[in-house]
Amino acid sequence: MHGIAASQPYVIAVFLIWAGLMKLLSRRMRAQAGQTALARLTGATRAVPALRLVGLVELAVAAALLLPPVHPLDGVAAALLAAGFLAYLSYAYVAAPTSSCGCLGAHSRPVDLRAFLRAGVLLAAGLVAIGAGPYPPLAPLVLLEVVILLGLSAELDRYWLTPTRRLLVRLRRPLAALPPGDVPLETTLHLLRRSPAYCSASARLTSDVRETWDEDGVRFLVYGARERSAVFAVPLAGDDPAAIRVALVDEAALA
Amino acid sequence: MRSRRDLLKSAVLGGGAGVVAATALGSLGPEAAFATTAPAIEPGTPDPNFAEGRIRSIKENTLLVLGSNMVFHTIRVVDGTSLWKLGPVGFDQAKPGDGLYARGVRMPDGMLAAEAVWLNIVNIKGHIKNITSQTIHLDHNGHEVLCHVVAGKSVAIHSESPATSDLSMLKVSQHVQILGAWRPDTNEVDIATVFSPH
Repeated sequence: MHGIAASQPYVIAVFLIWAGLMKLLSRRMRAQAGQTALARLTGATRAVPALRLVGLVELAVAAALLLPPVHPLDGVAAALLAAGFLAYLSYAYVAAPTSSCGCLGAHSRPVDLRAFLRAGVLLAAGLVAIGAGPYPPLAPLVLLEVVILLGLSAELDRYWLTPTRRLLVRLRRPLAALPPGDVPLETTLHLLRRSPAYCSASARLTSDVRETWDEDGVRFLVYGARERSAVFAVPLAGDDPAAIRVALVDEAALA
Repeated sequence: MRSRRDLLKSAVLGGGAGVVAATALGSLGPEAAFATTAPAIEPGTPDPNFAEGRIRSIKENTLLVLGSNMVFHTIRVVDGTSLWKLGPVGFDQAKPGDGLYARGVRMPDGMLAAEAVWLNIVNIKGHIKNITSQTIHLDHNGHEVLCHVVAGKSVAIHSESPATSDLSMLKVSQHVQILGAWRPDTNEVDIATVFSPH
């Protein structure tokens, strides 16, 4: 139990140092400060100073956690900071749902469940750290918690989640080409819309595709054109838009 | 049905042309065509020949639609009306709860005689979060939209290349625009076309 409590300051410190350094040193993060929920809270002009101030506070708490002597106030400060993060995330979620939180790095994703979970884990760690005594930390526990917190960080997704998903897609091929069946109608329409026949008749068309059927390797498409119908004949094989033919037909006269 | 289709077929294959030429009915140039449809709408006012909303009820061939601005529309669907729901469909496919865009001619009694109705059509941009079995998880401004690939209907258009039913070129984290049919009251969409920039 003592080991668990004694491990927490290290976990929290790792994240506070990362967050503080990013806020103080990352040029990109300062450039994007105007798009975070912090800008909404403090006003766009004060977003960068506010970001720096939060970064300094984070580094100060991290230093207090890492440096002896161990004091319950260290844990209290960390827990207060984590509670502040949670309150800020709630504010961002309600007041600026499309803004990113600007917590640990520059990215454009809005606040989601993972951001809340991460702040919640940090708060729990801060509360446990209040009872920390001068005991050695449990290295595997520190490692496990850091990995969990890193997994909850959307800032790092592009380094592990996106490549993993890409690899899985490459291995499993979930959208592998289906056995070639009929030509999809959208394929025909894409060709049709680029054809001289369609361009010359489009100003007369009043409806979308009303009817379509395939016959002898040709797909027929019927559109409404005022009181008449526009009939297009599109060869199913080949992709030459000039091969498409059109006729305007008075259906009442045909009947 | 067969004889009507045969007539249309012989018209387009027999007398049809690569472009519409001038006919005895008058000039078919764009000036003449647009002159007949010149909009007589004041700028800033709603287009009277357009309606959008969700279907509340269907009575015979008439749709009662509640617009997003809380205005009711009655829309009549006739033989010449085209209906779209991931492709051309019959009137029986229109269900209460479906969203729609309709274009047609406003009758003096306020009813819209529809020329074209698009059911549940959506056009969304976002980036691909993940790809699983025949589905694309799209992140649209932080909201997940589950996009289903429909065999024989869904196509992908990469850049300017011809549309293909092979969607396997799509990659996780790339940006796409998806045209499709929304499944009412869900965050799911059936894909008609995926537009990919590369």
